[in-house]
Amino acid sequence: MGLKKKITSNVESINAESINVKNLEEQRKHSRDYDGLLNLLHEGDPSERRWAARDLAEFPQAIDSLCQRLTQEGDLIVREAIFDSLLQISQANDASARNIILELIPLLRSEDTPLRNGVIEVLQNLPNSVAPHMEKLLQDKDSDVRIFAIDILRELAHPDTPAWLLDVINRETHINVLANAVDRLAEVGTEDMVSELQKIKIRFPREPYLSFAVDTAIRRIEGI
Amino acid sequence: MIPPAVGDSMQNQAAQRKIGDQELQIADSEFERFRDFFYRKTGIYFEDSKRYFVDKRIIQRIQETDHHSFRSYFTYMRFQASGEELQVLINLMTVNETYFFRESYQFDCLVGPVLDEVCKNKRAGEPIRIWSMPSSTGEEPYSIALYLLERWAGINDVDIELMASDIDSRVLRCCRDAIYSPRSVKNLPADILKKYFLLLPNGDYQLCRDLRDSVEFSQVNLVDSNDTRAFRNIDVIFCRNLLIYFDDASRRMAAEVFYDALNPGGFIFLGHSESMSRITSLFNVRKFNDAITYQKPF
Repeated sequence: MGLKKKITSNVESINAESINVKNLEEQRKHSRDYDGLLNLLHEGDPSERRWAARDLAEFPQAIDSLCQRLTQEGDLIVREAIFDSLLQISQANDASARNIILELIPLLRSEDTPLRNGVIEVLQNLPNSVAPHMEKLLQDKDSDVRIFAIDILRELAHPDTPAWLLDVINRETHINVLANAVDRLAEVGTEDMVSELQKIKIRFPREPYLSFAVDTAIRRIEGI
Repeated sequence: MIPPAVGDSMQNQAAQRKIGDQELQIADSEFERFRDFFYRKTGIYFEDSKRYFVDKRIIQRIQETDHHSFRSYFTYMRFQASGEELQVLINLMTVNETYFFRESYQFDCLVGPVLDEVCKNKRAGEPIRIWSMPSSTGEEPYSIALYLLERWAGINDVDIELMASDIDSRVLRCCRDAIYSPRSVKNLPADILKKYFLLLPNGDYQLCRDLRDSVEFSQVNLVDSNDTRAFRNIDVIFCRNLLIYFDDASRRMAAEVFYDALNPGGFIFLGHSESMSRITSLFNVRKFNDAITYQKPF
């Protein structure tokens, strides 16, 4: 007993194929076809579904099936694998990213909070593809969806973010949505937005939290 | 990653540099804006005492990217889709240094409650597998080996397989040579240094052959599934101060790799400023007296 000695010691042979990890080789099959993976995604046990989801990352045509599975899948480990595969597929090309966006945006209305949070995380990572949808999302009739849209902006690396948020604070009437937008502007707002922020305090004189949020945002923006 | 240099943090005042005729300064609120954003992205929180250190590096990047104010630079960095500038800042704000027994409270936790739990779930004769990723130049995996030999009573009852990986083939060669500067071994107790190292004529120290042979090194790209697919049935993973340098998507992929590599009930140690909870909900947080770890559910 003790520390086991390795099998190879030739420095030139250092690579994943030559090392002892061959001893750890898993039991699963590596080469599975697309149809087989789709079957496993829907019919396997959680471990098989998870591996199917992971391996489907190599198939851009799997977007529909992966997204469909998201709404049915109750197992966290499978869902996480699906989200990661969607992110990987999104990096393949713009068309794939756009398709993923179209499939995921409706899920922002889901009552399933972990599902919704996963969707928001994926959307945050696709700034150029999600950008054409932001204005519509920020004007959605459902205030919750508007808040989730602002959550997307929290991490979205897109230069239109300040302008979208400015638009929100100019027309939004829902206090919670407005407060979220003001909070975001504290980070990304610019000096020309200060006067618009001030107007919120006039529009909502009896909302002390909102006044505090506005003052904080202005202080940050003006660099005082 | 270790905190900013002491010399920088001693001066609690804003850094100043000239751009044209103007002194460039970071205002208090700008510092706060940057601090909140940086914390959200990296988990690193700068106390007010680090103000000079932070300001100095932000101003350096403002100048190097041809911006003229914090505002324009921050906007550029915040909305850059590639995240390259944020990465430059992360590199500037963190000081990578590796040495033996670094953040040793995590090794104490390993040879205490973590391995106790791992052993409880092992069948007789089944080995324990520990994976150090990234290995860098070998200080971490060899520290684990030394800790196991010197500070874990169970070493005589169980076989341990130690694996270590890095994406950089050059550092892997250093691992195999296992020659270290006096600075690198400064935290090692004298008796351990004497027992396991050979003092070389130039003042460096070389780890003994037996220990060098106890770690299996391999070149691995953590986000390449072809590289990681073979890593299975691991009981403990050390992945300290690596994920901070990944973007969000890569970080999630790495978490998936660890999940698949670990046995049920297996543990992950991350760097002190890193949190798996910020990346994925696949793991449970386990708080021990010495350290926080993340555990794959049974």
